[in-house]
Amino acid sequence: MNLKKYFIRALHRLQKGPGYTYKELLVWYCDNTNTHGPKRIIKEGPKKKLIWFFLTLLFASLVFWQWGILINTYLSYNVTSSLSIGFKTMKFPAVTVCNANPFKYSEVKHLLKELDRLIEAALERILQPTPGNGSNTSSPPLDLELWHQIPLVLIDEHDKDNPIILDIFESNLAAGGNETAAGNQTAAGGNQTAESNQTSEGNQTAAGGNQTSEGNQTAAPPAPANTTSEEKKYKLAVKLCSHQGSGNCTYRNFTSAAQAVTEWYILQSTSILSRVPLQERIRMGYQAEDMILACLYGAEPCNYKNFTQIYHPDHGNCYIFNWGMDEEALNSSNPGAEFGLKLILDISQQDYIPYLSSAAGARLMLHQQKSFPFLKDQGIYAMAGTETSIGVLVDELERMGYPYSDCTMNGSDVPVKNLYSQYNTSYSIQACLRSCFQNHMIEICGCGHYMFPLPEGVNYCNNEDNPGWAYCYSSLRSSIKHRQICIDSCKETCNDTQYKMTISMADWPSEASEDWIFHILSYERDMSTNVTLDRNGIIKLNIYFQEYNYRTISESAATTIVWLLSSLGGQFGFWMGGSVLCLIEFGEIIIDSLWITVINVIGWCKGLKQKRAQARYPDAPPTVSELVEAHTNLGFQHEDAGALPRDEALPPEPGTPPPNYDSLRVQPLDVLGPDSDAETE
Amino acid sequence: MRWYCLNTNTHGCRRIVVSRGRLRRFLWILLTLSAVGLILWQCAELLLNYYSASVSVTVQFQKLPFPAVTICNINPYKYSSMKDYLSELDKETKKALETFYGFSEGKSKVRRSVGEWDSAGSDFFKQIPLLKFEDFSRTATDLRSGQKRKIEGSVFHKDSSIVNSGDSNDIIGFQLCDANNSSECALYTFSSGVNAIQEWYKLHYMNIMAQIPLETKEKLSYSADDLLLTCFFDGLSCDKRHFTRFHHPLHGNCYTFNSGENGTVLSTSTGGSEYGLQVVLYIDEADYNPFLVTSTGAKIIVHDQNEYPFIEDIGTEIETAAATSIGMHFTRSRKLSKPYSDCTETGADIPVENLYNKSYSLQICLHSCFQKAMVDSCGCAQYAQPLPAGAEYCNYKKNPNWMYCYYRLHEKFVKEQLGCQQICKDACSFKEWALTTSIAQWPSTVSEDWMLRVLSWDKGQKINKKLNKTDLANLMVFYKDLNERFISENPANTLVILLSNFGGQLGLWMSCSVVCVIEIVEVFFIDSLSIVMRRQWQRAKKWWNDRKRDRSGKAPQAGELERQGHDNPVCIDEDLPTFNTALRLPLPQDSPLPRTPPPNYSTLRLESAFTEQLPDTLEAGQR
Repeated sequence: MNLKKYFIRALHRLQKGPGYTYKELLVWYCDNTNTHGPKRIIKEGPKKKLIWFFLTLLFASLVFWQWGILINTYLSYNVTSSLSIGFKTMKFPAVTVCNANPFKYSEVKHLLKELDRLIEAALERILQPTPGNGSNTSSPPLDLELWHQIPLVLIDEHDKDNPIILDIFESNLAAGGNETAAGNQTAAGGNQTAESNQTSEGNQTAAGGNQTSEGNQTAAPPAPANTTSEEKKYKLAVKLCSHQGSGNCTYRNFTSAAQAVTEWYILQSTSILSRVPLQERIRMGYQAEDMILACLYGAEPCNYKNFTQIYHPDHGNCYIFNWGMDEEALNSSNPGAEFGLKLILDISQQDYIPYLSSAAGARLMLHQQKSFPFLKDQGIYAMAGTETSIGVLVDELERMGYPYSDCTMNGSDVPVKNLYSQYNTSYSIQACLRSCFQNHMIEICGCGHYMFPLPEGVNYCNNEDNPGWAYCYSSLRSSIKHRQICIDSCKETCNDTQYKMTISMADWPSEASEDWIFHILSYERDMSTNVTLDRNGIIKLNIYFQEYNYRTISESAATTIVWLLSSLGGQFGFWMGGSVLCLIEFGEIIIDSLWITVINVIGWCKGLKQKRAQARYPDAPPTVSELVEAHTNLGFQHEDAGALPRDEALPPEPGTPPPNYDSLRVQPLDVLGPDSDAETE
Repeated sequence: MRWYCLNTNTHGCRRIVVSRGRLRRFLWILLTLSAVGLILWQCAELLLNYYSASVSVTVQFQKLPFPAVTICNINPYKYSSMKDYLSELDKETKKALETFYGFSEGKSKVRRSVGEWDSAGSDFFKQIPLLKFEDFSRTATDLRSGQKRKIEGSVFHKDSSIVNSGDSNDIIGFQLCDANNSSECALYTFSSGVNAIQEWYKLHYMNIMAQIPLETKEKLSYSADDLLLTCFFDGLSCDKRHFTRFHHPLHGNCYTFNSGENGTVLSTSTGGSEYGLQVVLYIDEADYNPFLVTSTGAKIIVHDQNEYPFIEDIGTEIETAAATSIGMHFTRSRKLSKPYSDCTETGADIPVENLYNKSYSLQICLHSCFQKAMVDSCGCAQYAQPLPAGAEYCNYKKNPNWMYCYYRLHEKFVKEQLGCQQICKDACSFKEWALTTSIAQWPSTVSEDWMLRVLSWDKGQKINKKLNKTDLANLMVFYKDLNERFISENPANTLVILLSNFGGQLGLWMSCSVVCVIEIVEVFFIDSLSIVMRRQWQRAKKWWNDRKRDRSGKAPQAGELERQGHDNPVCIDEDLPTFNTALRLPLPQDSPLPRTPPPNYSTLRLESAFTEQLPDTLEAGQR
């Protein structure tokens, strides 16, 4: 009903032409708006009018410009950080303790026996200045099969341009040396030495017993001592071939023999150990009851049963205190060493694998509950024979997620399959990077690296099944491209917790107390009166909260939507005294003027038609606007007067049609009915 | 005025004019004024807080540039090769030890050696006599002559300010005299002979070293081959080519890994100990200077490529026969410079010449400042800091006075009397590597054997001399994680935000804007000024006319009349028709206003106030 009425009115309006002109509309708007500038424009004299007009324009443009800036600021999603420092009751960190050495040598000896003999013989040859000291004549033949999978070679750099590559166990080394001397650097030279290796291998395996005497013969050339007294000319390198005996070889040069030997040993031993099932490896590692001799948390005694065992490929069996996997995490509500964790560990240094790890001590790490300990990255050492005190400050960083920063809450949106989820641990960037590397490794080399967890259905690399794995691994490891891919695809976590440690050390046990302490500890562990411990194996650890135990940096959005609105409002208010209502008013005016335009255009079209039809009339019929123009001034004055006393003090000139702009639009409203009705009808 | 109040957009004014009743009007005036006051106060507050900064911490996971790592042996020069220069001094020192403490020889021998001394005629003790005091009695035994003599001049206690040394029977010290004026002496005493001897030795040592040219010194110190046994970075071998030599005056030859000198800075893309720098250092304990350094090991410092390594100030010491693993965590900070805080971006605005060839830091500034003061007042440069242009290092021969001068100056410097601490500002941006250091035994007992053998082979020389594990130090420097923390200050306020806060304040209290301010300026200054001017003009005119006509007493009356009916005519005269109409229109309504109920839109809001106040006003009206 209303709609029909409305349409009828609109139609009428269309036929009649606009109720009033743009000018009227504008004047009316300027007069009635709440925005401050326009009112001035029409109320002042011509000079001031102009000034006010420009001022208003200037202010309007200022407002828009600054709005632009504000909105930009908002969209840049800045954050402010607030810092709080103090002491509060906090969860005690999870403490992971490991031995720097992964396995007991006595347990793994049978696996590594061959390897050790090889490396000893090789070292003998490299280091012995005089050939044939007869030390290895009695030893059984060496397993050169193992050697030739990843051989160590000696590079003679007397001639810088033509380095001679010498295999340490080369029987016909002179020939090999000559051959390789012809070849250039690594790849080309590698081709030939590889072949010579092949031939020599046949020789050696055939005449195993002869090998030692041959070795004695050839020990002279690699012995560097005579020649390199003034300058080091020999280098050790690990030769890595994509397939055994194939031409695709690289040499990993080492400036130091110690490094080369360690690297080589690690490659070989991982190959051997990767074939050992996990249960066996756990058995070969250090057992909790052997390693953790005493434990005290605050005043409460604890023992090795409070530790969760986890197998870590680098360090064998690791034990985590307060991991929070099964039970609630412990809280600590007091600072100071009295209320912290006190541990006595035994690392039994005599049982270390000699060539695998040269540093002796315990490895420990503080980390969050339910996170995987990445000891190589964040772990610290504790030295044997000392008491290490670690004061802890929890340094937390709480960040806002997207869109404020590019971090991930739980890693679910990272495109890398987290292999560490099998440990039931939370996401961390280290886990992501390692998983990423392992995935690449499986993709390219076809087998997983021993140091990282395996996805289902894939095996660890070893020399038998994957002869080229070392080559593949080494090229992958040094590939910048692959690293970058992993860095790009992994995201850091939003809540980053670090444990800042203040580490101090003292000798422990003291000379005076040494005897009884060793005695008691040995007795408790082994139930014997013999002292089985010594200074080189025993470590005391104190881990406690510092006086200020937390430093939390939390982010909050610098610009919220409320901030944006109030700033926008402030700007608009500051320059023009406007508000959202003013904007609506302005929108109304625009709609109105559009409406006028529509009416005008229609009117004009009609006029054109009429003009064409009745060309004899020279002028278009006078429009309503022209007619109304006569009383614009009056109307304006009247409106001005009426603006203040709007309700009662109605104008004294009732005869004139009030140029009520509302009439254009508000027809359905019956409040203003009389006016508009009078006009439209 | 009335016109303004009515027509202004500011809310309060209108109320004042429109309100009826004296009390209400007064209330409105009060409210308006307090609102204005509030606005002014708040805006002042805003302005005062304009130069504040908010801090934001961003963490970025990325490939990080590896810092430069500078490694020095604690002992600066090989003792064996320094023999030529230091033998005299060492002999003297040993004698001093004998005389004072009976070190290494029996008492009878001491007396004899003292006797020998006089004939030897030592230079060193002539320059700086080493003295032994007895009970603060102002008498001291001169080491050389064995005589007791009265000490004059001021006594400086290097140690005793902290520890009450009144009980200690012997105090040892040395005396520095102004060579030009021998009566002016400063006495430096130490409660312990260890400190005294070391300090005394160091003074002489610096003297001697200052005379040796740099090239010779570099040769006397350790070469890269001497110091570095193995090097391993990011899974690859490295050698001495990756190290840059850097001669430090107190630590001899130091070697900087990744100094960026050849234009490339290495970076790590994986954290963890395997991927950092692993070095085995050869310390050679046997070749240490026994008096100069008393500890064994190496010193390292992690710094930015552009930073000067102040290894003597902030170095970390590395133990021998141990593997020191240093985990790094990288933090970059940036402060806002003026006017937010008093820091400097490049150091260019500091009036101290940067003597170091590196980017500005507070430490550099302080050292340069001290060196400058030293050159200015003592005429020569201190040995531990680089030379300014045209100066040379102090030594006895040329500057016999320098030690006294140096000690005096140093005293002043420490007490902040040189003004260096005031001139030097801290740098606005800095990089920091937080280090977590831990130590493990190395090599382990079972691997010791082969490790030492192989390392001896690596050393390649003197195969007969097997390395001792106390000559070796293993060092690992690596990134714990690749998270870079960037702490930056941002301006908390920009002009835009300040303005919108102003706007918010103005709008909240008075619904006012810049337009209102302009209105006020317009009305109160321009218009009233013109009104006053016109009035003056007319008065002057009238007065002139009056005077012209006759000097009767009518003039002031006329003036008063004029003034009463003034406002409107003036306005009309001044302003052009539209203003006129605008002005005139409210006026007729003004007169009926008191009678008609105030048709104000605010009525809705203030109804409660009205009802309360209405009786009052009525009463007031009745009265």
